[in-house]
Amino acid sequence: MASLQLSLPSTYSVRPRPVRCADERQTLFNRIAPVYDNLNDLLSLGQHRVWKRMAVSWSGAKMGDQVLDLCCGSGDLSFLLSEKVGSNGKVTGLDFSKEQLSVASLRRNMSLKTCYKNIDWVEGDALDLPFPDGYFDAITMGYGLRNVVDKYRAMQEMFRVLKPGSRVSILDFNKSTQPFTASIQEWMIDNVVVPVATSYGLAKEYEYLKSSVREFLTGKELEKVALQVGFSSARHYEISGGIMGNLVAKR
Amino acid sequence: MVRASFTILRDAGNGLCKTLSEILVCPLSKQPLRYCEETNSLISDAIGVSFPIKDGIPCLVPNDGKITETEDTSKTDDSVDSSSTKN
Repeated sequence: MASLQLSLPSTYSVRPRPVRCADERQTLFNRIAPVYDNLNDLLSLGQHRVWKRMAVSWSGAKMGDQVLDLCCGSGDLSFLLSEKVGSNGKVTGLDFSKEQLSVASLRRNMSLKTCYKNIDWVEGDALDLPFPDGYFDAITMGYGLRNVVDKYRAMQEMFRVLKPGSRVSILDFNKSTQPFTASIQEWMIDNVVVPVATSYGLAKEYEYLKSSVREFLTGKELEKVALQVGFSSARHYEISGGIMGNLVAKR
Repeated sequence: MVRASFTILRDAGNGLCKTLSEILVCPLSKQPLRYCEETNSLISDAIGVSFPIKDGIPCLVPNDGKITETEDTSKTDDSVDSSSTKN
């Protein structure tokens, strides 16, 4: 497999520092866009596809629904939702990374599946959603909440644009309260994820993963935020031995 | 991995699909947007900001917005700062 050597912006070579502000994260996701799908498959041994199907099931999306895929990236969840809602339904995939949306758009245009025509792509910010109140029948967010700079606000926006009685399904790494699980997770990031990412010239981008999981909220904390925001119920499910988690909240 | 040429199959840059234009609102004011065919952009009359559409994808990140020119002032090219506080 050819390795991709991407030249790093000069700011990255000065000194390593946490990727904190939204602009830096946007740049990060733009940079990894060309290899994002390949690395997801490689690093999770294809398991991410199973987790994403579970997330879509939990969202309750069904035929004819209007659904939103937040932080859609290259579109994995959007494509699954597209099959669920059918030609009478509509999927809106939103992301703040132009490059990720380009990949998503290309994948859709190159696909032979005509049902994917029911997907619209929007470049937008999860903290300031360009949608009216109470519009969507279901929302998914895959590996996005951990990357937004204001989780509470993101959940407020999700609540606002959801129809009453509808659900949001948020899949992400689990910040485990079990020291053993947390150690396994960090070991895998240090010894599998980063070395593989290094061969693609993306070491620093994937080192960000460890700090972002550390700074993330635990399942209980996510449930609490969802209830504080106004969701009527919130439940966090741990999957794959606690390495991943999925929050399901109902408006 | 051969990097595909993203330009080949991009959507036409102009226009916006009907259903999308019906649901989108201004990300800041949450008021309806108006499609401007001349500039291929979405205008938020509520706050006087226009958002571009590129390759058929509306760009509605607050920082993508530009203050719309008024009749009495010369053209400005200021970008809108997001109203949210980002840590």
